[in-house]
Amino acid sequence: MSDPILALHGLRKSFGPTDIIRGVDLQVRTGERHALIGPNGAGKSTLFHLVSGQLAPSSGAIRFEGREIGGRTPQAINRRGLARSFQITNIFPRLSTYENVRLAVMRAHGLQYAFWKFIDRDRRIREETGRLLDLVRLAAKAGSVAGEMAYSEQRSLEIAMTLASDPRLILLDEPMAGMSHDETEYTSQLIREISAGRTLMIVEHDMDVVFSLSDRISVLVYGQVIATGTPAEIRAHAGVREAYLGDEATP
Amino acid sequence: MRKTLITCVAGAALLAALPFLLSQGLLNAAIQMLIAALFASAYNLLCGQAGMLSFGHAAYFGVGAFATVHAMNAVGGAGLLPTPLMPLAGALGGLVFGAIAGWFATQRSGTYFAMITLAIAELVHSLAPHLKGVFGGEAGISTMRMPTWGYDFGSTTQVYYLTLAWVLTAMALLYLYTRTPLGRLTLGLRENSHRLKFLGYNVHGLSTLVFAISAMFSGMAGGLQVLSNESANYVVFDPSLSAAAVLNTYIGGVQVFLGPAFGAALMTFFGYAISDLTRSWLLYQGILFVLVMMFLPTGLTGLIAITGRLRERHAPARLMPLFVLAAACAVLAGAGTVFTIELLQRLFSQEYRALMQAGAGGPWPAVALFDRSWQPGSPATWGVPLLLFGAAALLYWRCRQILNALADGEPAPSGPAPAQHSEESA
Repeated sequence: MSDPILALHGLRKSFGPTDIIRGVDLQVRTGERHALIGPNGAGKSTLFHLVSGQLAPSSGAIRFEGREIGGRTPQAINRRGLARSFQITNIFPRLSTYENVRLAVMRAHGLQYAFWKFIDRDRRIREETGRLLDLVRLAAKAGSVAGEMAYSEQRSLEIAMTLASDPRLILLDEPMAGMSHDETEYTSQLIREISAGRTLMIVEHDMDVVFSLSDRISVLVYGQVIATGTPAEIRAHAGVREAYLGDEATP
Repeated sequence: MRKTLITCVAGAALLAALPFLLSQGLLNAAIQMLIAALFASAYNLLCGQAGMLSFGHAAYFGVGAFATVHAMNAVGGAGLLPTPLMPLAGALGGLVFGAIAGWFATQRSGTYFAMITLAIAELVHSLAPHLKGVFGGEAGISTMRMPTWGYDFGSTTQVYYLTLAWVLTAMALLYLYTRTPLGRLTLGLRENSHRLKFLGYNVHGLSTLVFAISAMFSGMAGGLQVLSNESANYVVFDPSLSAAAVLNTYIGGVQVFLGPAFGAALMTFFGYAISDLTRSWLLYQGILFVLVMMFLPTGLTGLIAITGRLRERHAPARLMPLFVLAAACAVLAGAGTVFTIELLQRLFSQEYRALMQAGAGGPWPAVALFDRSWQPGSPATWGVPLLLFGAAALLYWRCRQILNALADGEPAPSGPAPAQHSEESA
């Protein structure tokens, strides 16, 4: 076993008197696909917000590749090599799909304050943008206004933008929400492909996807991790069945 | 692309030919129009492209103006720079002050951002009269355009060409800016600055830079005004100038690159041409703004886009009556509005009240308007605007009918799409 790429120790987050995350200890191993499941309101999205820098933890440690990132700005965490997607689609709605991906690609090529060169002339950016659009099957939609595309297409766009910085750890927050069966299947395969050579942490409600895709699963209930293990272990875990899975959801 | 370029070159050539076509007075108005156009375009970089609604852009225009006036008076009146390069001093002033103000203002977004820009502008506006050394007090600071490079800049024509050269250069730079990585990110700021953070961008840094660049071009516009007027006064910090930037930009249309410039040039021209004819110019400006916002939220350039779409879909023969009717409708409604406002303005004026008191008890004296005298009590007088508005309403109704007929005549655009969709999902 290699060192964990992401390690949470005694992580807590409260909003006023309300404790949302109540002492989470969790380790994500380098190269694995790690799913985070749990009932609604368990704190899955809050945990993603803490790791990605949207929220600062109340206490506890978040270590990414051994370095503390808790309370850092989102852009600093992204620059370290951790990228996330959002549960509620978070794109540039009135720009074209191409432009959405290109904005995401530019940063990885060190372009931010650049006003002395033309973006259309940059071949690296063009090629990388095209490659990502092909990857998520949106090449035909490159010219469409992103906010007017079908919901599932916007979800695919989310993934392309998350991949653009070539991150070592990807957090995907319900990437399949609102997708049809076919689209879920394709996206599931896509996630498998893109996670080669990277580490993936995913929140997903589709249990078929979770159990077939992930190497390990953590179960978050009421702000605490009650179990971590392989899909088989989680399926057999009595506490998990009681707290969350329910018989009909068990594949 | 090629067509756009040809149009731009033709437009620039026309502007360059203006001194041969216009009187001195109109040429002066043209200078003011060019400056207002640059100011509005600089403002739109922040407002339309970056989505940051600043209510205090006069501050950066004014700082640019005073930076220029001091640069011109420096070195015992010889000037820090050759006269043609003076707007650079204004640009630098705007850039520096914009970077400082922008750093504070862009800490927040939306309403709070607008309030901070308002506060900063108000701060400068109320401070300026007290700092006589810098802003010259009531009298302001005057200066002289020094002869440089064989030009004496004594004639309006030479000042016009200098202004035109700077405005065209600045507009070209502003346009090229939209093609750069920073220019694309500016749109990202407007669309979703939250997402930009998670893509690894420093949103505060980007916002400050965009703010500073917008302030820089505003300052350059201020500098050009000083070059034209040979003076600067703290009146340039007046909130009405900030308001004019917002109104002109939206009247022109924020979504088209040249929209704000068009709106500003148009409104400045009207201000010049009409302010001699009426005392209610600001009221007309306000009415125009409200009408544009209510019926043409994309501005006057949005109207061009709408007409363009209609022309793509329908034969010119079918559209011609529509355009004629719409134009007639606008003229009639405009005439009715002008008549009503001018009549009321005269009835409420002090002179008229004095006349009424002089002839107390008798009938209301007649009002002279448009070379005729009108009896305020006569139905015929009020019948004129009523008739105009009635005719306009009739034409409006007819236009709607034609538009509906055109919409019914074309194959419903949403028709084939759902069919395709159901095929896919089947």
